[in-house]
Amino acid sequence: MTRYDFLYDGEPYEATVEREGEILHVTVGERTFQLRPAGDNLYVADVNGRRTVVAAAFNKDVCHVDVDSVLLDIREASEESFAGAGDHAAEKDKIFAPMPGKIVKIMVEVGQEIAEKQAMVIVEAMKMENQVVSKAAGKVKAVNFKAGDQVDTETPIIELDIEEQK
Amino acid sequence: METLFKKILVANRSEIAVRVINACRSLGIPSVAVYSKADLTSKHRRYADESVFIGEAPPRESYLDIDKIIDAAQQTGCDAIHPGYGFLSENSQLPKRCAEAGLTFIGPPADAMLLMGNKVESRMRMADAGVPLIPGMKGSGADMTAFEEAADQAGFPVMIKAAAGGGGKGMRIVHKPEELADAVEGAKREAAGAFGDDTVYLEKYISNPRHIEFQVIADTHGNCVHVFERECSIQRRHQKIIEETPSIALTDEIRAKMGADAVKVARAAGYVNAGTVEFLFDLSGNYYFLEMNTRIQVEHPITEMVTGTDLVVEQIRVAAGLPLSEQFYSLTQRGHAIECRIYAEDGEANFMPSTGKLIHYSEPVGPGVRVDSGVELGSEITIDYDPIMAKLIVHAPSRQLAIRKMIAALNDYKILGVKTSKRFMIDCMSHKEFVNGHTYTNFIEVNMADREMDVEAYRDLAIAAAAAASGRKAALASEAVDDTGRSAAPSPWQNIGAWQIGDKIHDQV
Repeated sequence: MTRYDFLYDGEPYEATVEREGEILHVTVGERTFQLRPAGDNLYVADVNGRRTVVAAAFNKDVCHVDVDSVLLDIREASEESFAGAGDHAAEKDKIFAPMPGKIVKIMVEVGQEIAEKQAMVIVEAMKMENQVVSKAAGKVKAVNFKAGDQVDTETPIIELDIEEQK
Repeated sequence: METLFKKILVANRSEIAVRVINACRSLGIPSVAVYSKADLTSKHRRYADESVFIGEAPPRESYLDIDKIIDAAQQTGCDAIHPGYGFLSENSQLPKRCAEAGLTFIGPPADAMLLMGNKVESRMRMADAGVPLIPGMKGSGADMTAFEEAADQAGFPVMIKAAAGGGGKGMRIVHKPEELADAVEGAKREAAGAFGDDTVYLEKYISNPRHIEFQVIADTHGNCVHVFERECSIQRRHQKIIEETPSIALTDEIRAKMGADAVKVARAAGYVNAGTVEFLFDLSGNYYFLEMNTRIQVEHPITEMVTGTDLVVEQIRVAAGLPLSEQFYSLTQRGHAIECRIYAEDGEANFMPSTGKLIHYSEPVGPGVRVDSGVELGSEITIDYDPIMAKLIVHAPSRQLAIRKMIAALNDYKILGVKTSKRFMIDCMSHKEFVNGHTYTNFIEVNMADREMDVEAYRDLAIAAAAAASGRKAALASEAVDDTGRSAAPSPWQNIGAWQIGDKIHDQV
C-alpha cells in the first residue's frame, strides 16, 4: 500500500493505493475507486456502474485531471506547497493578474469597501478582456497600477485589508 | 502531373493552416507555411512542405505583415496565397498586392471584400438587390430627424450600429424615443474611437433571433450556388462556440428562399470564391440579411460533413479558374453535423483565456468524428494569438444522435495543461432547451447563467487518479537512466541472457 498526500483548493487530502494485478484500488476518504491504466495518462474507472475514462498527468507538482470533462488541478502536498509557493490562491488579501497583460480598467479605489467576488480590475490578454474578482470581502488598502499599465502575475495589482484574516 | 498551382503559401497559423495544407496535399500541390517566433515548433509549420520565418510573435510583425507574406511567397516560388480566416483574410490590400506581385489570391476580389466591409454601403446595395433587411435606415442618418423618423417607422426597440462596426462596439439598444438622441451621440463617440469613423445607422432591434448563415461559392464563369445553412446561435461574448447543420428552424421552403437570397447577395457583390451570408431569423420566421463574411469560416467543416464536399479544395479549384465542380449542382444534406470549438479558456471562470503547455493530448476517434486541430502534445498555448486550439466535428444520421456522439467525443477528447470549455459545451447540449431546438443567440444568457458546476462531486475520483498518476511518475523516475547509460528498468532482452535462434530447441528434441 502506498500513501500520497495532496492539496485541492488549499485543503489537504490523502489517497492510498493498493495494486492488484493491473487494477489499482485507490481509497480517498470514505470512497474506494478501481482504476485500470489504459495507456499514457489514462485510467478507466467504474463510477456508479458507469465506465468513464479519466486523464491525469503531472506538470511539476500539479496533477491536471479530466473527469467527465471537468478539469481539476490536484497539487502534491509538500512543505513548499503548504507555504503556497508559486501560487497566489492562499493570498486572499492581494489581487493578481491571471496572466501577463494590460490593465484596461481598475474598478475600485483606495478606502472602498468591497464584497467577496466583487469585480476589481479588467486585464486584457489574448485579445480578450478578463475580469478579476476579489477572493474575500474587505477594504481596498492600495492600488499599485493604473489603466494602460502592463502587469505580470507576480506583482499584486490591488492590496486589501480583509475581514476574516486568519 | 500538372497541378492547379505550382505551390501555395498559407498565410495563417494553427488549425486553419493545417486544414489548408491538407487540401493542398489532396490536390498534390506543395505548400509553404509561414511562422512567427512563437510558432517555431508549431504543428502547422511541420505539416507544410516548406516553411518561412516571418518575424516576432506580435501579429503586426508577422502574420499581419503583407510585405513579409508576399516576400515569403516569392522567395519560395509560390504562385498562390491562401489567407485562412482572421489575420489578413478580409484585408482588401492582400488581394491587391497579390495581383501586383503576379500571385493568385485564393479568395474573393478586393472590391467585393471592400463592399462587404462597409455595413452601410452593403446594406444599400442589398436593399437594391431585393434582399430582406432589418427594417431601418438604408444609409446613415444626416441629422437627428432622420433617426427619429426611421425609429418611428421601424418601431421600438431599435438598435444604433456603427457603419464600420463589429464586436459590439458602437452598438446601442434603444427602448424609448427619449433615449434616442443620447444613444446616437454615444454610439458615434464609440465608433469614432474604435474605427476612426463615426458613421452610425439605425435598425429595428430583433429580440431572440437565431443566427443562421448560408455558405455560398461562386466561380469566375458566373456560376454561384449555396451550400445550405449553418445555425450558429450558441454564442458567448458574441463569439460562436457550437454550430450545427441543418438548422432545426428551417422548412425546405424557407431554406430554398434563404439560399436563393444568399446567392442574390453574392451576385450583387460581384462575389467569387467561398463566402458566408449571415441572416438573423426571428421568432415569426422572418429572416434578415446581416452581413457577408468574405472568407472561409471557422465552422465550414459541418457543411462539408453533411454535403460530402471539400470547400477548401473547391476554393483552390475556382481560384485556379476552373468552373464549380459538378457535385455542387446536385447537393443534398445528409444527416446532421455539429461543431464544438475547443478554445484554451476556462469554461468555469467566465471563459478566461488559459495558457500553458499541453502535457497530455489525445483525440477522439470513431465513425463520423473529425478533429481539425492546430495543437499536439507539447504545444505551448501563449497569450500571443486567438485561443482556438481545435474544432471537434461530428456527423450522425439525426440531430439527437449527433448530440450524443458529440458529448461522448468531447469526453474522449483529453487535453491536459490548459483549461477548456468542454464541460460547459456538454452542459449546453444536455440542456432540454438545446435538445428541443430552442437555440437563440441569448441561449447562454438565458439558460446557462445560473448553471452551477458541482466540482466537489468529481474531487475524490480526481484525487484517486492523481494518486495513480503519482505511482506512474515515480515508476518513470526510477526508470531514469543509470550511470552505465542503460535504463534501470529490466528489459526482456537483458533478462533472456545469451541465446541463439534454434539453439536449445535442438537439444530438447
